[in-house]
Amino acid sequence: MLKKSATLFTVMALGVTAAACGGGDSDSGASSSPSPSASAAATHAPKPELRVLMQYDRIDPNQDYTGKKIIELTGYPVKYEMLPAENPDEKLNLLVTNQEPFDVMKLNSAQFYKLATAGALEPLDDLINKLGPNIKNAINEKSWESTKINGKIYAIPETGSGIAISEELIVRQDWLDELGLQVPTNTDELYTVLKTIKEKKNVIPLVGSKDSIQSLLGDIAAAFGVTTWWVDNNGTLTHQVETPQMKEFLTYMNKLYKEGLIDSELPLSTSAKAIEKFSSGKAAMYKLAWFNAPNTINALTKNNPNAKVSVIPFLKGKDGKAQVFANTGTTWFIAIPKYSKNKEEAFKFLDKKLEPAIFKELAIGIEGTHHKVEDGKYIPILPKFNEDLNYASGFMTGVDEKNYPTYWQARVRKDPILTSYFEKFQENAKGLIVTDPLALAPPIPEIAKNKQKLDKLQLDNMLNFITGTQPISDYDKFVAKWKAEGGDEMTKGANAWYQSQKK
Amino acid sequence: MKTASSPSAVSVAGKSKPKTGIRPTLPERIFNVFNYVFFTLMGITTLLPFVNLIAKSLSSEAAVISGIVNLWPIGFQLGTYKFVLQDAAFMNSMKISIFLTAVGTALSLFMTTITAYPLSKPRLRGRKWFLLMFIFTMLFSGGLIPTYLLMHKLHLVNTLPVLFLPAMVNVYNMLIIKSYFEGLPDSLEESAKLDGAGNLRILFFIALPLSLPVLATIALFFAVYFWNDYFNAMIYISNPSLKPMQLFLKELLLSSGDFMRNETLNVDAALNTSPQSIQAASIMIATVPILLVYPFLQKYFVKGVLVGSVKG
Repeated sequence: MLKKSATLFTVMALGVTAAACGGGDSDSGASSSPSPSASAAATHAPKPELRVLMQYDRIDPNQDYTGKKIIELTGYPVKYEMLPAENPDEKLNLLVTNQEPFDVMKLNSAQFYKLATAGALEPLDDLINKLGPNIKNAINEKSWESTKINGKIYAIPETGSGIAISEELIVRQDWLDELGLQVPTNTDELYTVLKTIKEKKNVIPLVGSKDSIQSLLGDIAAAFGVTTWWVDNNGTLTHQVETPQMKEFLTYMNKLYKEGLIDSELPLSTSAKAIEKFSSGKAAMYKLAWFNAPNTINALTKNNPNAKVSVIPFLKGKDGKAQVFANTGTTWFIAIPKYSKNKEEAFKFLDKKLEPAIFKELAIGIEGTHHKVEDGKYIPILPKFNEDLNYASGFMTGVDEKNYPTYWQARVRKDPILTSYFEKFQENAKGLIVTDPLALAPPIPEIAKNKQKLDKLQLDNMLNFITGTQPISDYDKFVAKWKAEGGDEMTKGANAWYQSQKK
Repeated sequence: MKTASSPSAVSVAGKSKPKTGIRPTLPERIFNVFNYVFFTLMGITTLLPFVNLIAKSLSSEAAVISGIVNLWPIGFQLGTYKFVLQDAAFMNSMKISIFLTAVGTALSLFMTTITAYPLSKPRLRGRKWFLLMFIFTMLFSGGLIPTYLLMHKLHLVNTLPVLFLPAMVNVYNMLIIKSYFEGLPDSLEESAKLDGAGNLRILFFIALPLSLPVLATIALFFAVYFWNDYFNAMIYISNPSLKPMQLFLKELLLSSGDFMRNETLNVDAALNTSPQSIQAASIMIATVPILLVYPFLQKYFVKGVLVGSVKG
């Protein structure tokens, strides 16, 4: 009975969709995926269709220029699917549990770690040696470290656009001029400037956002010496939470907050809210990300044509040196599932995409059509570049690590404000950059397990100490709690890997 | 078996009660005025977010970012709407949604109605047991993962039918239609039988035309359900070409401003965020079609169609 009706329903459904999708829909959903036949005769067929699972993006990758270009340049017919923007991890579990026949998956580090340790991914060492000449050339020895689990490589690392500094403090220069103030160079001067602005202008001196730990830290924290997640203390790693510098930084911030120099709504403020306050002329200083610069600056000049903005050089610490933390490391992990029917072909496809000429075309298109070269810089040709390549990064499966940072900058040069802020930030950060000692570590189980929970704990407590909800004298209590809830375990795991690298 | 209903059972709508003649006292009137004012204001409050959204969608991006747009557009422009309507991915999802709503509503209404009709007849053998089976599914279900596995085994994952086939018979709506059918006078069926009509003819030519109000209501429920359903699509659809609009929209809104996933900054996502005014325009375009359905169904929400079909 049930079986009958199920078949009936399916037949009906197929009938309905076939009837409905008949009109001009080139890609109807009626064709359900054929069940894999027991005979593996398909492996000898030329260039099988590959199914690639991407992370969420707002486009239909099967219709996108880059998606079609990849098919054309590699010769592999590719079908793209995407994880949803919401609950991608749950969906991924469903797909893997059901052994959805994907051949390539683009994963974030948590997803990669989970699948690799569950034995769902194919180890790639042999394939790299046998079929991956381009991949070998494109990717640094160091980057491979991040995709090794128990000494075996389980994914191709994608490191993105190289080291780039994304945020720096900006200030209303017109107000500084009006009050006869200089751009502050260290935290004491910053305090004086903020105080004067508060007294004379009656605006919010400094706005910020509580979106993440990084958005609370930044320039001011770096001046106190709080930069990387982990600090190397004579060969052992300590988390930033346990450093005296963090306490100093929070004490300073609490002083600013108490005296009304930081936006009193900081614990509720998102970056959108902060930008709102800065661009509507209610605030004097904000740590801006360069990719938000066009919006922010355009809105500000629209509201107040006389407004002038300058970028505050990274603040110097007590020793007179400035430093900037740059988030680096592997962003994406390109893996081949164990149950894929086309492992070798999938790997060949990934290797083909990293052939230098093909990679370049997929990254920034064709010279003369999508970009031009002016004194060694790649300049996008608009609007063609945006129309075709706006979403090209999502299609990447590993990058040519030598050249991609240079190619990628074409993306920034599509807007003069964007370009100027991006270049200014990078220029200011030259020679000051510090990176995390764990930037290229593979996913470490103790960290993967605890990080999310502890980051939340750290963020909440930092906000409490800044706003004075908790007195700073309680800081050691918080550290003890942090350690008990997994901080100790995390530190152990971090050090175990760190020592193993030293040998 | 009930006999033919007494005339009093046939309610005559539209005839208001005669006034009692007592004029409301002053305090009563003050209370009434206050009531009207209060509830009018309440009503307007619910509209405000919507008005704000319309204003945002018509304002310049600079004004929206500065947070100065309230109920009236600042820096009026229509570029956002133009942009959204030219966005291939958005329009494709719109097409999917319209198809889903049309086909889903028609099929569900049909299936639910033909399920409800026999269940409304006391002479159906094992009616209680059938009803129990249906109501059981209202209270208990296999859960998400088993349901997913079932859909997977039926090869429905990543196809459009997965979004309307499982929802074809909605038990709650079925019960509403069933109780409406039960309210139809038995004498109608009897007289039709005497005239030689079979069960199907009675259903399609007598019961259904008399049930337009309830059918219209349920059709609206279904249409709104299919139009607004993003959850099933999120679970079953990973092929981007098959995303219905609500899912597309939800992801669009979710993904903006979230480039700090697992704290590796996704610069490219940051560079590609949609401006807030575009987001507002997308929401408007996604909401208006389903709002337009209401006035068209309005005319069926009338009572008293039964008057005169049976002599009292």
